[in-house]
Amino acid sequence: MAHIPDGVLSAPVLIGGALAAAGLLAVALRRLDYEQLPQAAVLSAAFFVASLISVPIGPSSVHLLLNGLMGLLLGWSALPALFVALLLQAVFFGFGGFAVLGVNTLNLALPALACALLLRPLLAGGGGPRVFWIGAAAGGLGVLLTAGLLAASLAASGRALIPAAQVLVLTYLPLALVEALITGTVLAFLQRVEPELLSAGRTDHV
Amino acid sequence: MRYFCRTAHLPGDGIIACNVLFFFAFLASFREQLPTPGSNHRGRRGVGAARRSCWTALARALPVLGLGLALSTPALAHKLRVFAAAEGDLITGSAYFAGGGAAGGAQISILDGQGRTLATPTPDAQGRFSYRVQAPADLVVVAQTGDGHRTEWRIAAAELAGAFAAGTPVPAPTNGSEPPAAAPTAAAPASAPTAAAGAADAALEAAIERALARQIRPLREDLMAAEDRTRLRDILGGIGYIVGLTGLALWWRSRRPNR
Repeated sequence: MAHIPDGVLSAPVLIGGALAAAGLLAVALRRLDYEQLPQAAVLSAAFFVASLISVPIGPSSVHLLLNGLMGLLLGWSALPALFVALLLQAVFFGFGGFAVLGVNTLNLALPALACALLLRPLLAGGGGPRVFWIGAAAGGLGVLLTAGLLAASLAASGRALIPAAQVLVLTYLPLALVEALITGTVLAFLQRVEPELLSAGRTDHV
Repeated sequence: MRYFCRTAHLPGDGIIACNVLFFFAFLASFREQLPTPGSNHRGRRGVGAARRSCWTALARALPVLGLGLALSTPALAHKLRVFAAAEGDLITGSAYFAGGGAAGGAQISILDGQGRTLATPTPDAQGRFSYRVQAPADLVVVAQTGDGHRTEWRIAAAELAGAFAAGTPVPAPTNGSEPPAAAPTAAAPASAPTAAAGAADAALEAAIERALARQIRPLREDLMAAEDRTRLRDILGGIGYIVGLTGLALWWRSRRPNR
């Protein structure tokens, strides 16, 4: 589960996460590409709604994360989009909490950044079937890194790592496969109908 | 749309899935390629072209919407919840995900007021568990899964006190413990016939309160489920805020054209 509720993590983790998230947000806002704002809004809304459709797997339930897709399409602009969507989820749905908002943002934003830094330059090539695999890599990478950060947050708060890791592996590996498939399909679809979305922002630094 | 859901008895979450599909369909509709390469793709199109593209967007979205509705299954929200109530000295409850799914794999712990773990009953596949209380006290029922879901439910001592009123743990009312407790002790110094009548009254009252607790319990569970339900207005509110913030940011940008 990518939204950690209040009361699970310890105070040092919460404070450190909040500070790191604030710092990253400041950097992202300074680099904000206003031309991409409408796309950022649409993806943020999709992320906001995606958490409502969760599927039970094993002892827990998971939902589509879409942070790999956001990182790939938006770059640094994905960070404010993720933060706003998480904040609104906490306000309207009660998913996650306000104290945990910083840590939740980090857990979702750092993988998005990783996808952006690693995979956005590859989009510049613009080949046909390659785009699907770049999208699949972004989707899978986003989910796996999120699961890793989730495990790290829980472990840093003193919870037993082995049972948490077992549940995470059980629930997030299938999700990584599904999200890789969906992200790749969305990328291929976008390349067919709106290639400018993929190359937007290519000229400036990610 | 909500009215349509209710009258058509459709699960609201299917509509959510449709909205997600609708986003992508809407994106797809704006795909007219301009004939001359190099011209601005988002350049000025006539009002007629914009209206046509809106209609094509709607036309493309409707079959997607219909497909989504046809395939819609009750989807699950994402919050772990636990509910427990006392019947006499037996606490029964269930752990579930808000929106309807059972949390059969959750770990249940019963904690006392100081946070000590009294018991860890194992839930069945439907997430149900039970625990027999030894003494009336404030209890906390905690449910958690390994990956960070955690929720709790408090049971007050008053709810359990009825079972231990006369000192014998018999199935007793879950609330209003004073009348049956007072009746036996106050009747002790009285004469035998009055004591017998008092005990009969107490037994009657205990039976009434037991039946009442049994009837009210489904109502409490329904109340919890209603609180947890994701409402369409919450979704629309969140999306509205996203659109509003984007508009604000773009307006802010437009005030400084030299950036």
